[in-house]
Amino acid sequence: MSKASWLVDFPQMDRADLLFIRKTLDGAYKNFSRSYGDVIESLFDPLLYFLVWFEKLLVNSPWWIIIAIICGLVFSATRSWKLTLGVLIAFLLIGYFGMWENTMRTMSIIFVCTLISIAVGIPIGIMMSRSDRAQSIVTPILDIMQTMPAFVYLIPVVMLLGIGKVPGVIAVVIYAIPPVIRLTNLGIRLVDKEVLEAATAYGASSRQRLFGVQLPLALPTIMAGINQTIMMALAMVVIASMIGVKGLGQPVLRSITNQYFTIGLFNGLAIVALAIVFDRVSQAYGKRTQRHLEGAQQ
Amino acid sequence: MKRLLGAALILMGMAGTANAASDCGKVTIADMNWNSATVLANIDKFILQNGYGCDAELVPGDTMPTGTSMTEKGEPDIAPELWSNAIKAALDKGVAEKRLRYAGKSLSDGGEEGFWVPEYMVKKDPSLATIAGVIANAKLFKHPEDPDKSAMMGCPAGWNCQISTTNLFKALNLGKAGFELIDPGSGAGLAGSIAKAYERGEGWFGYYWAPTAILGKYKMVKVDTGNGINVEHFRNCTTKPDCENPIVTMYPPAAVHTITTESFASRAPEAYKYLTKRSFKNAEMNELLAWMEQNQADGNVAMEQYLKNNEAIWTTWVPADVAAKVKKALAAL
Repeated sequence: MSKASWLVDFPQMDRADLLFIRKTLDGAYKNFSRSYGDVIESLFDPLLYFLVWFEKLLVNSPWWIIIAIICGLVFSATRSWKLTLGVLIAFLLIGYFGMWENTMRTMSIIFVCTLISIAVGIPIGIMMSRSDRAQSIVTPILDIMQTMPAFVYLIPVVMLLGIGKVPGVIAVVIYAIPPVIRLTNLGIRLVDKEVLEAATAYGASSRQRLFGVQLPLALPTIMAGINQTIMMALAMVVIASMIGVKGLGQPVLRSITNQYFTIGLFNGLAIVALAIVFDRVSQAYGKRTQRHLEGAQQ
Repeated sequence: MKRLLGAALILMGMAGTANAASDCGKVTIADMNWNSATVLANIDKFILQNGYGCDAELVPGDTMPTGTSMTEKGEPDIAPELWSNAIKAALDKGVAEKRLRYAGKSLSDGGEEGFWVPEYMVKKDPSLATIAGVIANAKLFKHPEDPDKSAMMGCPAGWNCQISTTNLFKALNLGKAGFELIDPGSGAGLAGSIAKAYERGEGWFGYYWAPTAILGKYKMVKVDTGNGINVEHFRNCTTKPDCENPIVTMYPPAAVHTITTESFASRAPEAYKYLTKRSFKNAEMNELLAWMEQNQADGNVAMEQYLKNNEAIWTTWVPADVAAKVKKALAAL
């Protein structure tokens, strides 16, 4: 009976062995965080100071200056009065409903996360597009980053760096960076081979081909990746607030635990408004840099 | 005819007592996502299943959703550890409408809330066990983002204790002492911040509660805020968001109840009786939680460990025949 039981029950690892593995790994991580935590924390200090400084800048500046700057940016990027007016109204409403400070906090952290994602993601994407081996290594890592439940790495990061902005930024970047990497890779790989051959025939070096041909032609795809990255970063705001990142995520959390649906909805809509501003501005900018292409096609 | 009816009634009554166990039927037990509650849920499941013949099943739960679902839908049947202060109004309404019953206290001493500092800090400087000492040494409690300020870890956003910590923070004038009340965002965030401080021997000051695995694992000392416990004020002001002039008080012990639905209590009176008696002292629970933490045990393993080693305690919760059945099942594990 007991001998045949493996046919019915899955032969499981011995409880003691499993316990040994769990304890060893946990212990190893704790030792690591104890001995290197301080060093790693101080490595991130410049980022922390920048985040704090940028947040203070946005929160403490008079609201009308911020709105003027944002509307100016929107208009110069899109040249659309309609969109600029819409953004103006959205921000006036956000302020009127008392969400100004939290919105500024979220905006500062999302802005930094997007910058980091682009600065790190595009070079990785380029590397992937140039080597199949790099692609085969990076792709599964990206899969892990996109599907691993955030709390699995959030709490270990908290043990290493404490609660607050830096672990929040790390969590958001881990979750939001894959699209920009994937689409940079894809965009460059999709560039017409004949165009590249022509460039080579004119004696373009590898670097000239990359910056003069591949990247400009891949730009629409890369911009789509950046757009997805921004959207995913904003979606992550609520998760980040679970480790003490201030901003629109906290009122959302508070209102859902207490079932205050209206407050939850208002703060959720403020996140949406931010997303639209970031997206339209970056897309319009991307399109304007591509305008010469449209002209050529016509 | 009358006699026949009488005989039938007696028969039914007898059948009732004889089959008390099988009447119990399907029972759902809320398995909360913290260790002490999950152990209690597993112990209840084992004893109800093997001692009373119930078809017991664990369902995932948490204070708010489980409490609400029990009052509104009558499901699950049993909440083995409910910190009832958190949803007192809803529970009292459920009891008044004959939908719920307070079966007993799962933690007889009550839950312990308060502001804590790590034991290693108090060993170095005993004055840190009082609020005056904490204020005098505010520089030890580093703010994660602002080097000029000190940090007090508060309660996660949306939890009930967020209101009481905010009021006590005001009453203790900690803002003037350079402290800022920090929202850790979630229970896991709060626990993570304690773990981080403890592993590195850093300063930590903030809200937590016991019995919990965290306080079983990381020895902490409750800070004496002075003035003792003012239950009256705590109930009427400290726990209310619109408390205008909060005064200093320690946390009174929080009531921790076993709650059952009325339908379960009337359907299985014998099993209900067991739940009224099943109760832990905080010291016992802390010891069990520490054992769990050390062995990374889950609720099921901890249940086995507890029932095997504490026969003298749990046999007082049930009649002798039930105890014998449970012991037999335990030996077969």
